[in-house]
Amino acid sequence: MTVVPQADELERRLAEGERRGAALLGEVAKIPAFVRRDFLVALSYRAGFLTDIVGVVFGAFLFYFIGRLIDPASLPSVGGSQLTYFDYAAIGVALGPFLQIALSRVASVIRQEQLAGTLESLLVTPTAPATVQFGSVVYELIYIPIRTGLVLLVLALGFGLHYKASGIPVALAAGLLVVPFIWGLGLMSAASTLTYRRGGGAVDLLVGVLTLGSSAFFPLVLFPAWLTSIARVNPLYLGISSIRTALVTCGGWGPLAGRMALLAPMSVASLVLGLVAFRLALGRERRRGTLGLY
Amino acid sequence: MHPDDGRVVLAGRDGWTRALRSSVGVVPSGDRSFYLRISGLENLVFFGRLHGFSRRDAVARAGELLARVGLEESARVPVGVYSHGMQKRLSVARALLARPLLLLVDEATHDLDPEGSRRVRRLVEASAADGAAVLWTTQRVDEIRGFVNAVTLLNRGRVRFAGSVPRFMSYSPQQRFHLRLGLERTATAGEPLEALVAPALTGKGTLRAAEEGHAGHYLLALDDGVVLGDVLASLTALGVAVLTCTEEKSEIEEAFFALTADAGT
Repeated sequence: MTVVPQADELERRLAEGERRGAALLGEVAKIPAFVRRDFLVALSYRAGFLTDIVGVVFGAFLFYFIGRLIDPASLPSVGGSQLTYFDYAAIGVALGPFLQIALSRVASVIRQEQLAGTLESLLVTPTAPATVQFGSVVYELIYIPIRTGLVLLVLALGFGLHYKASGIPVALAAGLLVVPFIWGLGLMSAASTLTYRRGGGAVDLLVGVLTLGSSAFFPLVLFPAWLTSIARVNPLYLGISSIRTALVTCGGWGPLAGRMALLAPMSVASLVLGLVAFRLALGRERRRGTLGLY
Repeated sequence: MHPDDGRVVLAGRDGWTRALRSSVGVVPSGDRSFYLRISGLENLVFFGRLHGFSRRDAVARAGELLARVGLEESARVPVGVYSHGMQKRLSVARALLARPLLLLVDEATHDLDPEGSRRVRRLVEASAADGAAVLWTTQRVDEIRGFVNAVTLLNRGRVRFAGSVPRFMSYSPQQRFHLRLGLERTATAGEPLEALVAPALTGKGTLRAAEEGHAGHYLLALDDGVVLGDVLASLTALGVAVLTCTEEKSEIEEAFFALTADAGT
């Protein structure tokens, strides 16, 4: 039954294959396919979307009522402004799920594909592994910021946040700076998942420690002095405190330049380390032929 | 998987390049290689996009292939609702998306019923007729008969045989056939039939009753190099009517056992 095509036909088809899979542009063109796939899958879980939103609203209520118990005078001022606890924690309430989902989702993309049995089918296509990885999180990267923005809007309208719209550009910039850091962690965790099959536990622990020292829910001054000093270089602290300061004071770039200068190289380093770890883990699994096992 | 040793050459090119991958179709053995929450059409379009098709081309190609594998009516149904056989046909359709030069089929029929297996084999045969080279791996060795033109038997990581199907079958140590014989023209006078025909079968094979309670059923074992027709002619000459003759065990399976016996399987 084996039939070997004629040589010129082979060349023609290979050239066609090369043309279709052409380099970077070809890879970029595949990203919308991943977004559509994940959108359709998400759409098939309508109840999941609703419970997600309801969960966030309940979380906001929790912090709102806790905030009423806390005397604003006990909180440190931010850029000279005195905040209520809810003003202080709202960034954490909105960004907390963002960090959790972004980290866990990046880490679990490969595992989910493994569990679904689709990973090998993806990797035998002429698609770069990095495209598979990136494409599989793009939908979340689009959905989560929209969700975060909606949450902040609901909090502002429903609970009376005292943020300034003019601070949004600087807050967005600070948010964009911290995202590569989170991605890097996610990729390292994905590498761990590929290699050890169970990488989630380590990620949860790391996210827990980083969130604890991020000033998302309480000021760092509550820590012992030595721990406060360490926490002040926590990239999540640098990102969250910058966003908060930008939204509260609208003081422009100047007051945040130091924090952002510190955050930028750590974000780059995290992303590079994550990419290297992921490529090494992927290469190892492909050599061993165990990529599809879980 | 990266090779420990050796090279894979396709169309004179080696290395698992993107262009080569775009020319290879794979039907995996697993039964969960699709996104079960979305339709067969959307699955094919997605994988088509990963092969570099524009969305419009991917939709057109997916529709064409769904019709070819007989799934056009289920195109918009979530794959999770598909039967096992339907998922396997969808898998073949996906492998054909990029009109592959080489089709790798990994145990595609191991868990299908005979009808489902035949449909998958016909789809793959049609692809071969279109010019694809097919590498079909299977543990259901019997299905290679009349289906493939070259066999490679791998056992414990070693090639035990490489060649044609008839040559492969020649490794079957002894051919055994199940015969149903009529005795109306034979005056046996109470003598067992096998004793009656034994002198005529000397050097050709042996005949013995198959099982008690099945009158007229016998097992014929041919000696090496003996042609079945000669033995049947001898029986007929003795007045024995050969009503049916079927192979008792698969020669292919017997050949498999013979070739792998020394490996301890």
